[in-house]
Amino acid sequence: MRPVAGIGLRSPHLAEIARDRPSTGFLEIHAENYLARSPAVQTVEQLRQDYEFSVHAVGLSLGSIDGPDETHLGRVAALIERLQPALVSDHLSWSIAGDRYFNDLLPLPYTEEALDVVVRNVDRLQERLRRQVLIENPSCYLAFAHSTLSEPEFLTALVRRSGCGLLLDANNIAVTAHNLRLAPVAWLDGLPASAIGEYHLAGHAVNDADGEAILIDDHGSPVGDGVWALFDEIVRRYGPRPTLVEWDTDLPALPILLDEAARAARALNKGAEADARAA
Amino acid sequence: MLALRDLQAAFAAHLKGEDRLDLAGVVVGDTISASARLRVHRRHVAQSLATALGATFPTVEAIVGDAYFQAMAQAFAVQELPRQPVLAEYGADFPAFVAGYGPAAALPYLADMARLDWALNLAFHAPLEGRLGAPDLTGLPPQRLFELRVALAAGSALVRSSYPIDRIWHASQPDATVGTVSLEEGAASVIVLRRPDDAAFASLNPAEAAFVTALDEGGSLGEGAEAAIALEPAFDPSATFARLLALQAFAALQQAP
Repeated sequence: MRPVAGIGLRSPHLAEIARDRPSTGFLEIHAENYLARSPAVQTVEQLRQDYEFSVHAVGLSLGSIDGPDETHLGRVAALIERLQPALVSDHLSWSIAGDRYFNDLLPLPYTEEALDVVVRNVDRLQERLRRQVLIENPSCYLAFAHSTLSEPEFLTALVRRSGCGLLLDANNIAVTAHNLRLAPVAWLDGLPASAIGEYHLAGHAVNDADGEAILIDDHGSPVGDGVWALFDEIVRRYGPRPTLVEWDTDLPALPILLDEAARAARALNKGAEADARAA
Repeated sequence: MLALRDLQAAFAAHLKGEDRLDLAGVVVGDTISASARLRVHRRHVAQSLATALGATFPTVEAIVGDAYFQAMAQAFAVQELPRQPVLAEYGADFPAFVAGYGPAAALPYLADMARLDWALNLAFHAPLEGRLGAPDLTGLPPQRLFELRVALAAGSALVRSSYPIDRIWHASQPDATVGTVSLEEGAASVIVLRRPDDAAFASLNPAEAAFVTALDEGGSLGEGAEAAIALEPAFDPSATFARLLALQAFAALQQAP
């Protein structure tokens, strides 16, 4: 897929997009919202004829010690088979334990033990789908004392051992770096450039924790200036990639979301021109 | 340090409301404590599941308001976490929880509104399969018609209540034209339907509800008519059957009648 900018497809916008077919680089859906058959699934299947798609899963729980739920994996695989999306992704996190689903992207300790578990689960997913998947860096609110790898080191090792790609979420890097007292630009050092297959952009909220600011990845506002600056740096270092603007809570009118994607497209083009000059 | 299996079990217990010292002990705390950091996840799980329940039970949410609904739905979510990640399929047990939810005792009809919301949700996600139409039955002799057994279409369901749930539903819509509803209006039954673009319901009088119940339990059209006439001697089975056919309430016949 070309390095264009797209938008997250959310149900309140579905009818408007189906009617007006606005110009945007691609549409990304959350897999879990289109597994139960509904009129919305039919609409998405029709939109697929006019748009490139990305299927972004949030519930495969690739960090779970017991691995993804087999039934759920089968349903996601069937959706991907029908839609034939350009991109497929999920997160470096877990959300299922003891037969219960927590609807959160829960953090992993970055240990060799956890790396073995995630490699095994990503292998199983890629074998099932017979394609590469992209793994997204999560937004972190805490770190485990027994982690022996940094998050970028963990992701880099995961790419090397499983052959998966990376989905770099610039907002998540900013959120994680703030909450865990890391330097966001240093987080970017040494990533495997050829594995990066997609970027995400979104807004975050600022909450209070023990009287201090903690950033919450709520996808409920425009992309912040700090995240735009970090995105420019990412594009400068690693080049343009398909880029998605995500907005989930306090969803704005569709034109506002499309404007955010247009801004992302301009940032990608600026990066591409710089690449061309350098070449 | 905790092995990953133990860490995930402890984290799961934390999310259900237990304070786990073993978990807090492996989380890095600084000027933001380990417990404050862990609470971000506990809060997100409860809030996001309550928000998902709000999408599935919009009438209940409209009746009690956002804040009340969040409290009630979070209490349910922590007690009954989903068993799989498709949230449109989460909440089957919520109507029973609402029925036993002490603070909502002053709203005795609320659990039935939850049952109606859940039936509409199931209908919305039901496959749009072939329907029985009046032309399929053209020319059938009356006796054969009386012996015919028809099945409700996928998503179609009868919801019965001691309260006027149809009027309460209409009064709870964002563009409501119904004003106040008196519980004195009494019992109501509705048939929920999967339509091509959405899910909806139609009100049934008691005789019509008895007719549909008998058909849904495997009775023939004749047996359904008898059940309805037992309640209402003036019941007109052909008019009701025609109305239900027009609503596309029945699945297409498996074989020619």
